[in-house]
Amino acid sequence: MPRYILRRVLESVPTLLLIVTLAFVLLHLAPGGPFSADKPLLPEIRHSIEARYHLQEPLWRQYLRYLNDLAHGDLGPSFQYRNTSVNQIIATGFPVDLTVGLSAIVVALLVGIPIGLNAAWRRHTWWDRLPMALAVAGISLPVFVIAPLLVLVFAVQLHWLPAGDWVPGSLSHMVLPVLALSLPYIAYVARIVRGSALEVLNTAYIRTARAKGLSTLRILLHHALRPSLAPVVSFLGPTTAGVITISIVVETVFGLPGIGRFFVTGALNRDYTLVLGITILYGTLIILFNLLADLCYAWLDPRVRL
Amino acid sequence: MGRWQRVRSHRGAVLAGGVLLLLALSSVIVPALSPYDYYTPQLQFISLPPTLHGAHLLGTDPLGRDLLIRVLWGIRISLLIGLAASCISVVVGVLWGAIAGYAGGAIDALMMRAVDVLYSVPFVPFVIVLTVLFGHQLWLMFVAIGAVSWLDIARIVRGETLSLKRREFIEAARVSGVRAARMIRTHIVPNLLGVVIIYATLTVPSVILFEAFMSFLGLGVRAPLASLGSLIADGASDMQAHPHLLLVPAVVLATIVYCFNFIGDGLRDALDPHERP
Amino acid sequence: MRLAAPRALAFTATALLVACSHQADPLLGSSAPQITVGTALAGSQAIARTLDDSPRSLDPQLTTDIPSQRVLDDLFEGLVTFSIDGKPSPGAAASWQQSADSKTWVFHLRPDARWSNGAPLTAEDFLYSWRREVDPKTGAGYAQALAPIVNALDIALGRKPPEALGVEANDAHTLTVHLGAATPYLLDLMDQTYLYPVYRPAIERYGDDWVRPGNLVSNGAFMLREDVIGNRITLSANPFYWDAAHVRLRSVIYYTMPDRAQAVLRYLAGDVQFTDSFAASQRPWLKRTLGDQVVNSPWLGIYMLAFNFKLPPFRDNLPLRQALILAIDRAALTQYLKFGMYEPADTLMPPLDGYQQQHPDWAAKTQLERDALARRLYREAGFTAEHPLRVNLSTSVQGADERHYMEAVAAMWHAVLGAEVALDETEFKVLAQNRELRLLPLFFDAWIGDFADPVNFMQLFQSGSAFNYGSYANPRFDALLERVARDPDNGARYRLLEQAEQILNADAAYIPLYYYATRHLIKPYVQGWRSNVMDRNLSRYMYILEHQGR
Repeated sequence: MPRYILRRVLESVPTLLLIVTLAFVLLHLAPGGPFSADKPLLPEIRHSIEARYHLQEPLWRQYLRYLNDLAHGDLGPSFQYRNTSVNQIIATGFPVDLTVGLSAIVVALLVGIPIGLNAAWRRHTWWDRLPMALAVAGISLPVFVIAPLLVLVFAVQLHWLPAGDWVPGSLSHMVLPVLALSLPYIAYVARIVRGSALEVLNTAYIRTARAKGLSTLRILLHHALRPSLAPVVSFLGPTTAGVITISIVVETVFGLPGIGRFFVTGALNRDYTLVLGITILYGTLIILFNLLADLCYAWLDPRVRL
Repeated sequence: MGRWQRVRSHRGAVLAGGVLLLLALSSVIVPALSPYDYYTPQLQFISLPPTLHGAHLLGTDPLGRDLLIRVLWGIRISLLIGLAASCISVVVGVLWGAIAGYAGGAIDALMMRAVDVLYSVPFVPFVIVLTVLFGHQLWLMFVAIGAVSWLDIARIVRGETLSLKRREFIEAARVSGVRAARMIRTHIVPNLLGVVIIYATLTVPSVILFEAFMSFLGLGVRAPLASLGSLIADGASDMQAHPHLLLVPAVVLATIVYCFNFIGDGLRDALDPHERP
Repeated sequence: MRLAAPRALAFTATALLVACSHQADPLLGSSAPQITVGTALAGSQAIARTLDDSPRSLDPQLTTDIPSQRVLDDLFEGLVTFSIDGKPSPGAAASWQQSADSKTWVFHLRPDARWSNGAPLTAEDFLYSWRREVDPKTGAGYAQALAPIVNALDIALGRKPPEALGVEANDAHTLTVHLGAATPYLLDLMDQTYLYPVYRPAIERYGDDWVRPGNLVSNGAFMLREDVIGNRITLSANPFYWDAAHVRLRSVIYYTMPDRAQAVLRYLAGDVQFTDSFAASQRPWLKRTLGDQVVNSPWLGIYMLAFNFKLPPFRDNLPLRQALILAIDRAALTQYLKFGMYEPADTLMPPLDGYQQQHPDWAAKTQLERDALARRLYREAGFTAEHPLRVNLSTSVQGADERHYMEAVAAMWHAVLGAEVALDETEFKVLAQNRELRLLPLFFDAWIGDFADPVNFMQLFQSGSAFNYGSYANPRFDALLERVARDPDNGARYRLLEQAEQILNADAAYIPLYYYATRHLIKPYVQGWRSNVMDRNLSRYMYILEHQGR
């Protein structure tokens, strides 16, 4: 196992390099630069700004320069926010996304798995139909509909919870964003678990256990749970990375200072370094969570050899 | 689990299929018959609520265009994008994941790392570049979204293949000398269908919503065309004043998603080898 | 003003020194509003305002975006500041004089002016900051703002060193400004954020980090307490501010809220008391629910479509341009799509005191008459039903409201003329680049006045101007603008500018759509603000009345 982990970590280096390169090329292919805007700059001034950010050098040299800075942990200055560095933006924003995102995933698992298992166990009854029907609603109503509704009801009308903003350590500021973010994932998890649990529950192995008279809970927890979770793990691997970084709608609606919004506006404003920095973060998270998912997979299904 | 229940769930699937077909046909036929079109503004009639007796059954949008016609066009566009992109995703994703999972070792590692890389590439610049290179074409939406969505399926399929690989009947087949390609085609892929179908039915709505998000950023369908996603995005900003602008496309989208799920369930029930009596 | 200045440059230093004389004597003292005795003030004098986006930077010389401007207006103060009515009033400078030819101005700084760390504010600070603005190495966002000052443009273009800037610090509290040409609107220029002073020791010590809380030293009514990028900026009252006695607010929080719907929800919940915008489509509902809290007042800006004069189909085709201008029912558009939030426009200049709006002939006709005339002109231009006009209308993505507006314009052209105008909506950078490259035949353009003078709008059509994306060129127009640059009398200047605008009308140089308006939601218990055409609402004048509820 440790050799496997080491191998994966080593493999991640060329992967990340490839990600950076692709993103770099893509960003520079898009027309327009960071400094073409409302008020055109005088040529000498534009020259000076571009020189400071090395935008006049040939692309390959900018690329190598970026890699060099990267190796020293410096993600560069932001082009949009001229007195702020990408490191600062990510350091401010990422913990917010991490907290809300991970909480949402945890909630999705804690709520979705039991619902899904129960639905599979009691298939075609109301325990199955109702939650699955609600799950579909959770998936089909986009976050940018649900989130403002939540704010409208719980904050504006009832005044139970704050309407937005981020206060570190304040649980009440987390409730609505986590709820809004987790709803579709509860639905996804419940459906996937139900699907795979149905397959597991119909195997001869489970039927034997039932015939032997083992209790429901025991069967579910000890025999059905682990194999059922396999697709959930596959799904959640990269999804978690996405939930954490790109929940731009939740950030915007609740006023959370996360990096998702910076990612999109950064791309639209050609803030190359900011987008590259967040891409690297995203790539690292994906690799990390994929590794965790594969490890989980091996734990869940002993037949799998890594 | 008696036969009655199986038939009933099949019936649900058939019903769902019928609803979808009805929606799809209406989206083509009704606009051809209606006096209204989807692009001509009528400024005196903006944002009218739905009325049963009035001129506009479902009301009008902020430019006074008949909402029913707009929604039908939205259904057409969204179904087109959803089905096309999902087809691309599923085909590419299943093949990629099955090959990677079955082959194992270095090939698996390479293929899945490629998935990681593609996952991390920022999609907004990607779509911008595509739009600039090829203009605002509809097929561009299929390609862009399909290119992003196959990754999830590939991961799941690869995971399932990994566990399938170790099952007795696969071992048996391998021992009896079945070649890899045939193995994948006849043994692995059919057994994956259950999970794949579930996932495919989850992909269609997420594709439609992804397209909505892109419309949000101005990278989706070009005005005056609308997709359900862009109609929902526009309606969400005016939720308090004119709820029908949001509710109508949202309900339609939910209906379509429901239908796909019922169909998925029905297909899985029919195709699942464990379900046969 | 960028381009007339180089030709009008005249270095008559000695003559100016002799010619300096006293002119109008501006007021000394605070311009803060009086509060009637007995008004109950809330115990906690704190306000939360919103910004439409994160400020790009808190460095006055670097940024041009509005969110930065809002925060900078509270942190810093220029020689001249805004009164509550948006008129120039004494700021860091207590008084000033201009020479008879308006080419030399002398500003007298307050002797008690201080930075927020107690250090005295001197003329040297202004000298340093302005040189920094024009020095190409700084990379200022809008160095053209200082164009009237002698040598400013040459320095920005790299031809002269920053020390050559026509400004002198005669002593610690006297600043002399030499202008290349008479600039009667100089005071309006002086209150732009680019001319705010910056604290040199902080910049030299901290480099790019000088704008962080703890490092940033400001001279305005407030100091920087906290800056969480993407979330909020918190300011607290500056005890060293010369008018601190009249500043009631103890703290100001600016929340970044790019989503307008969210800003409204937070306002309703009471989290913020002064928002910066709301969507037009929400206006009727907001008016019904909030009444007077919905504030819309004229903002000096125009929203328009521009032609490209070097590309077909609009090149050399006056009737076609006129036809497109006429066939738009602006009143209906602003009524039904903008819900009365904006005024329909028929001129380049929004309403401005002292300036006569030059309404074109068609403004007095009915829309039916305009449509009929448009059809005739369209045929005259050479287009018919079989050979309609086919052109793209290039705009940027701004939101559903703006898209609907453009769709409606294109639909009107189709309904009235039969023209086939396709909406080419791209994201902003793509539009900006295509505009700069002069590639677009018909495109969206907008301009908010940097200061309250028509010349700031006319320069958009000056040949060679960087803002002239349509390559409009009319020698008579340029000649008029040159005369304007040399005329010290504001009245005469305005008459010349009015004539210049008439030329634009005759040439059908652009398609006016509507004038900008401010869009604020303001709680009834927030006082100390007044709508003004520059939409600068300084927190230093505001105060909170005692109130119940949110």
